[in-house]
Amino acid sequence: MTAATPARSRPSTFAQWWVLTVRFIIPTLRNGELALTIASSVVFTAGLYIPLSHVMGTATKGVSSSYAQYIMPLIALQAVTFAAMSTAFRAATDSLQGLNRRFRSMPMAPLTPVAARISAAVYRCSVALAVALICGHVIGFRFYRGAEYITGFCVLVIVVGAVMSFGADLVGTGSRNPEAMTPLFILPPLIFGLLSVGVQPVRQFPHWIQPIVRNQPISQFVDAMRVLGGDTTPAAGAVTWSVMMPTLAWLSGLAVVLVPVSAIVLSKRQ
Amino acid sequence: MMSLVCEEATHLRADEPRHENSVRVLVPQTLVQTQRILLRWARDPTTALLALVLPICFLVTLNVVLGQQISQITGHSALYGTVPMNALAAAIHGSATGAIGLIGERTDGLLSRLWVLPVHRASGALSRIIAEVVRIVVTTLVILGVGVLLGFRFERGVLASLAWLVVPVIFGLAWASLITTVALYSAKTFLLEAVTLVHVLAVVFSTGFLPVDQYPRWIQPVVAHQPMSYAIETMRGLSVGGPVQSPMIATLLWAIGIAAACAMPMVFGYRRASMR
Repeated sequence: MTAATPARSRPSTFAQWWVLTVRFIIPTLRNGELALTIASSVVFTAGLYIPLSHVMGTATKGVSSSYAQYIMPLIALQAVTFAAMSTAFRAATDSLQGLNRRFRSMPMAPLTPVAARISAAVYRCSVALAVALICGHVIGFRFYRGAEYITGFCVLVIVVGAVMSFGADLVGTGSRNPEAMTPLFILPPLIFGLLSVGVQPVRQFPHWIQPIVRNQPISQFVDAMRVLGGDTTPAAGAVTWSVMMPTLAWLSGLAVVLVPVSAIVLSKRQ
Repeated sequence: MMSLVCEEATHLRADEPRHENSVRVLVPQTLVQTQRILLRWARDPTTALLALVLPICFLVTLNVVLGQQISQITGHSALYGTVPMNALAAAIHGSATGAIGLIGERTDGLLSRLWVLPVHRASGALSRIIAEVVRIVVTTLVILGVGVLLGFRFERGVLASLAWLVVPVIFGLAWASLITTVALYSAKTFLLEAVTLVHVLAVVFSTGFLPVDQYPRWIQPVVAHQPMSYAIETMRGLSVGGPVQSPMIATLLWAIGIAAACAMPMVFGYRRASMR
C-alpha cells in the first residue's frame, strides 16, 4: 500500500463473526423460532417417552432404573439434532439468494459465515438441551454423578450439535435447495435414533442389524451420555476410556472430514 | 372486478372473445399450470428422491424396531399400520415442499405476474390442488410398492384397494390446505420447523406407530381420535380387514373440517400474495 491511499480499515474477524451471528439470533426472538426450539424439546420428550415407555419398559428393566433414565440421552440428542438441522435450511437459503457469493467479494475470512451459522446453531442447541433437561427431570431422569460429569454430558451434547450443524450447513450450501431440506430435517435423525441403543438394548433388535445398531454413531453417543449421566443400578457402568473412545473418535473423525470438504464447497464458484 | 377480455389462440373458435373467468378457459389453463408445477418437481430430482427414499427408510426402520412386538400384540403384521402411516406422512411432507415452492413464487413475483394476466382466477389454485393429488398418488404408490415387497397384501378386493389409495389423497389435500394457509401467513423457517414437529407428533401418537392400548391410558383418546389415526384405521380396514365405515366417516369429517376452516384464510392469503 502506498502512502497516498488512506489505510483501509480491516474489520476484525471477530467483529464480523459477531455481527453475522447476531443476524441469525435476533430474528429467532421475534418470529417464533425460539418458541419452536423450546417446543421441539417438549415434543421429543413426549413423543419418545410416552409411546415407548410401556412397550420398551420391560426390555430395559435391569439395564436401567427407569425408562426415563434410559431414553433421556436419545431425547437430548434428538432435540439438539433438530436445532442443528435447521442450519441446513438457512444455509441453503443464504446460498440461493447469493449471500455467500456476496460475502466472498468482501474482505472477510471464507469460514466466517459458516462459523456464524454454527454459533447460531450452538445457541439453539443450548436452548434445546436446557429445555430437554427440564423435561427429562419431569419424566424422572436424574444425574447420579458429580458436577464435572453433568458438565461433560452437556458439553458432549453441544459438541454433537455443533458437528451436526456443520454437516447440515455443508449439505444446505452444496444443494442450494431449501425445498429439498424438508424431509432431511426429521427423518434421518429419527431413523438413526430408532435404530440405536437409545430406545432399546441391542439384543432386542433382529440379529442381522445388531452390528449396525451397536456401532453407529448415535449408539456410541448414547452409551457415552448414559455413563456420564449415571444410574442407581450397577449395570450403569463407569466412565471409562473404552466407552468414551468411540464417541470422541466419531466426533473428531467427522470434524476432520467436514472442515476440508466445507472449505472446498464454499470456495466453489456459485 | 375489472372484466378483461382475452382473445387467445388456445381455443377452437378464436374469433369469439371469451371472458377470462369463463369455464371454457378454466380447463386448458389449469392443465397448463398443473403441467408447469409437475415439470418443476420432476426437474428437481434431489427433492423428489429425498421425499421418496426417506419415508421408505423410515418404514423399514419401524419394521425392524417395532414390527415384531406389534405383530405379537395385534396378531397381524405391523405393515398394515406402518405403510399407511408413512404414505400419510409423505403426503404431509409433500405439501410442505409445495408450500415452500409457493412462497418462493410469491417472492419471485410469479404470482403477481399471473394475477395481471387474463387467466382464470381459479386456475392457479386448482392447478396446485391437481398437482398435489398427482404427487400424493405417486408417493403412496412407491411406498405401497416397498410395503408389498416387505409382505403387505390387499385382502379385500380391487375396490377396497382403490379406496385405500384415495384415503391419502383426501387426507393430504386437507393437510395441504392447512399448511398452505400457514405458509401464506408466516416465515419459511417457522413453517418448516412447525410442520416437522406436527409431523413427529402425528406419527408417534398414531395407531400406525403402536396399537392404541400400548399408550398410557390418559392419552389414548387423543391417539384414537386424531385425524392420522382415523386415516390409518380406514386404510387398515380396507387392506387387512376390519371396521371401515366409522373411521372413514371420521377421516372425511376431519378433512372437511380442516379444509373448511382454512378455505377463507387461504383464499385471502393467496390473493394477497398475488397482489403484492
